Amino acid sequence: MFLQQLVNGLTLGSLYAVLAIGLTLVFGVLNIINMAHGGIFMIGAFVGLFMVTVFNVNIFVALIVAMAVGAVLGYVLEFVALRPLRKKKVSHLAPLISTIGVSIFIESLALLLWGPQTRSFPPDYIGGLIDFGAFKISMVQIIGLGVSIVLMVLLNFVIKKTKIGKAIRAVSLSTETAALLGINPTMVISITVMIASALGAAAGVLVGLSFNAIEPTMGVIIGFKGLAVLILGGLGNITGAMVGGFILGVAEVFSVAYGASTFRDAVAFGMIILLLFWRPQGLFGSKDKGGRP
Amino acid sequence: MKHSMLKKLALLGLAGVMAIAAGCSNGSDNSANSNEAKIALLTTTTGGAAAYGESIKAGAELAVSEINADANAVKINLLVEDTKGDKNEAINAINKVISKDKVVGVIGPMLSGEMMAAGPVANKSKVVALGTSTTAEGITDIGDYIFRNAVPESLAVDTAIKEAHKTLGFKTAAIMYSNNNDQMVSVNKTAEKALKEAGVQIIDTETFADKDTDFSAQLTKIQQLKPDVIVVASLYQEGALIMKKMREMGMNQPVIGSNGFNSPEFIKIAGSAADGVIVGTPWFPNKDDQKVRDFRKAYAAKYGKEPDQFAAQAYDAVYMYESALKKSGSTTDREKFREALKNIADFVGVTGQFKFNEKGDPNMEVQVLQIRNGQFDALQK
Amino acid sequence: MDLLNPYYLQIIMFFIINAIMGISIYFTLASGQLSLGAAGFMSVGAYVGALLSLKVDMPIIVGIIVGGLVAAFVAVIIGLPTTRLKGLYLAIATLGFGEVVRVIFLNLDITNGALGLSGIPSIPQELANYAYEFDFDGLLGLDAVTWGNLMAIIVLLAILVLVIAFCVRINNSRVGRAFAAIKADDHAAELMGINVVYYKMMAFIIGAFIAGIGGGLYAHITNFINPTDFSYHKVVQILLFPVFGGSNVVWGSVLGSFILTLLPEVLRFLSDYRDIIYGALLVVLMAVRPDGILTESMVDKMARKLGCKKEPYIPETQVLTERFEAYKRAQEKQG
Repeated sequence: MFLQQLVNGLTLGSLYAVLAIGLTLVFGVLNIINMAHGGIFMIGAFVGLFMVTVFNVNIFVALIVAMAVGAVLGYVLEFVALRPLRKKKVSHLAPLISTIGVSIFIESLALLLWGPQTRSFPPDYIGGLIDFGAFKISMVQIIGLGVSIVLMVLLNFVIKKTKIGKAIRAVSLSTETAALLGINPTMVISITVMIASALGAAAGVLVGLSFNAIEPTMGVIIGFKGLAVLILGGLGNITGAMVGGFILGVAEVFSVAYGASTFRDAVAFGMIILLLFWRPQGLFGSKDKGGRP
Repeated sequence: MKHSMLKKLALLGLAGVMAIAAGCSNGSDNSANSNEAKIALLTTTTGGAAAYGESIKAGAELAVSEINADANAVKINLLVEDTKGDKNEAINAINKVISKDKVVGVIGPMLSGEMMAAGPVANKSKVVALGTSTTAEGITDIGDYIFRNAVPESLAVDTAIKEAHKTLGFKTAAIMYSNNNDQMVSVNKTAEKALKEAGVQIIDTETFADKDTDFSAQLTKIQQLKPDVIVVASLYQEGALIMKKMREMGMNQPVIGSNGFNSPEFIKIAGSAADGVIVGTPWFPNKDDQKVRDFRKAYAAKYGKEPDQFAAQAYDAVYMYESALKKSGSTTDREKFREALKNIADFVGVTGQFKFNEKGDPNMEVQVLQIRNGQFDALQK
Repeated sequence: MDLLNPYYLQIIMFFIINAIMGISIYFTLASGQLSLGAAGFMSVGAYVGALLSLKVDMPIIVGIIVGGLVAAFVAVIIGLPTTRLKGLYLAIATLGFGEVVRVIFLNLDITNGALGLSGIPSIPQELANYAYEFDFDGLLGLDAVTWGNLMAIIVLLAILVLVIAFCVRINNSRVGRAFAAIKADDHAAELMGINVVYYKMMAFIIGAFIAGIGGGLYAHITNFINPTDFSYHKVVQILLFPVFGGSNVVWGSVLGSFILTLLPEVLRFLSDYRDIIYGALLVVLMAVRPDGILTESMVDKMARKLGCKKEPYIPETQVLTERFEAYKRAQEKQG
């Protein structure tokens, strides 16, 4: 049972990680918490679902389309809710509320368009259970885990090795200095939000596929968990978000397996409070850099 | 320059909204008609529980359109208010329809928690509120003006467990319930009691929260313990996901569900995984009854989908109100309306024969159904 | 007497409670802390208040005050580690505190889990009973229930006024200036010799006390509470009051809660479109007025107009510069 529960935890954790990376990227560059991330996550799930059910495409194609839609939405989000605020010097409260407004908007729009019913991928769309003896893993879990890991590796490569990755890191350290060095911060910020939103949409498709519950409010609770991971790993730290996601997934599953399931929802935040006693900057956040990538 | 214009636009927009609002509220006051009974339906059409609220709204609106098309019936003006599944909204909404719109009776609110908060308001104002889906314990203890045609879980689940035990003869059971949902906590209490009375050993109890989607940890734990039967108390969305996961993991035990499982949506989401679910309910869609067939046909024609239990109970509630209005002979007298509703007898709706007991709870027959091949059917071995 | 119908009176009561909750957030914001624990402290106050009057028959007012004190005590415990945290770390940690409290209430026997506590004595009802006793029934053409509601509003209003007065008093004292200094720059404040942790703790505890009082009032107005009332949604709702109305002044919370309590009711006729408009409104407002509707300078101006405040001393150079800039702007507009 231990191995089986570990697999359950890791699968859940990989999804949390992909979701949290998007949040942490935006935080690293803009120093804000993007509360609309859950909304984009939900739209991603719906787009993936429609690609599969209406256009009958392969799940990977659906994933890419969803990510593209997510990126477009990310651009719109940045343009509508974040850019107007950046021009003025405002406290970090304003973007928080502004993105909350966007998330309320997206959620209620989805409710109007698609109705409140839970939808799911066609039954046995990706069937199959592989039995390893000590534990079983379903194809869906393998895809979820695999795609998440690929996305994380890809993102790490982009951030560490490419030109745009360097620009993103530069802007996250200091927008003014980056601008002096010939980087266009507006463009970099737009691209960052787009990448983050594409990841959010991808997480939506994966969660929709794994748990088969796609409905307009699906982003709220999981977005909340994303916040927990964000803090756990250290604000703005990508490695932190990945590790934090896995830790949270495994901790939640183990709290059910070896503790009481009634306390599952308190685990995430209970852990955070305890952790912050010990490391006020999260697991991987560093004090001097303000925890940026 | 640009932003001052934006500012003006925003102000203009706000003023516009206010103006429309003022205009609308004036408009609705004039439309009052003396031989038309005003009834309010409080339900949840936005927010997390919207899926259930939509069904209730659809069922009630279907009944109203049928009634208003009938020349002999009392005309009904149904005001639908959204409570968002939020207590404050429910209190505000019930206050609004009672004091401002002056309705003769209220159907709803939808959730037990909302009724607990808004029910006392109706009771204090001496206006009837009838819950169509408030199944938790203690609802009708609020007062003499609170009724429900929702079968309390204590009755539905109790019957389902006892009947299932008689037919299947299981010895051990595990319970899974949503612990942040008051109705499901009630189910858990009832199920524990019923199982004990039947001499069944409860080997594990696991919980989750409404809107959870990942149940693998709980189910892995239950799988190890190999119970003969599993009792699941949740709304149908979570229930369907649990069934899917369970069957995927190779757990083939029969499952006894709470009364919300009785929904075509449940079967639609769960697919073939729904087979083997046992549920106790007054609403049997495949019942050999002309009323039920007509209702299903009319509902499918209007909304393009099958009605569920929420729709059926809301549909019946409106008809109950209509028959009480007819008996009371007034479209505005709230006191007469309560008397007539309370003493309703020989009412037959799509959920069968109906009357209230002295507390305002329904006195009706619960049928135990089992899903086989994607259809609700009578329970068999 | 249509204006005095229970629907409007109920909205007024909710508005006052919301304003008190908004001020509790304002308090922590005033010292530069973004604490999202208000819903958690509110639930502590609500449960303690409700349990005291349900289980040991304590008078409502005593229950509410004890609830506030317990909330403040809890704030001392969790404030010790959390006030060390900065910015959004504090926000999420306090949000987490609220979540943990909610799950605890969900699992305790005495709080009746998800079923919640029902039959909590209601303030308007109790006051209506007094109205019967003192023969208010029928006075001025109002029945006892309306009198009960009206008196409840007066009591609530008195509490709100007390809270506002307290805030204004604090703002004009050494403590308030310390808060402002910490908000502007906590390092600089520390260098000036302000005990930052002490004042942050103080703001945190006072905020929790006010939230606890608000929770107690809430429990005794709605007659029924369960853990779901104090979830994440509630936090966002409460946070919006000060931010919408103006987070730098105490009147902002009052204005914000007034608008945001009324708006959903005014928009009720839009039914399904209500939330879409609400969401869009937040985005537009933040773009136009990121500090909320009321700002410090606006309130100052109004206070001076009303004669509550003297004209501040402005150096002549600043006056001249401002005049010159205004002139330049006017020129630009024309050309």
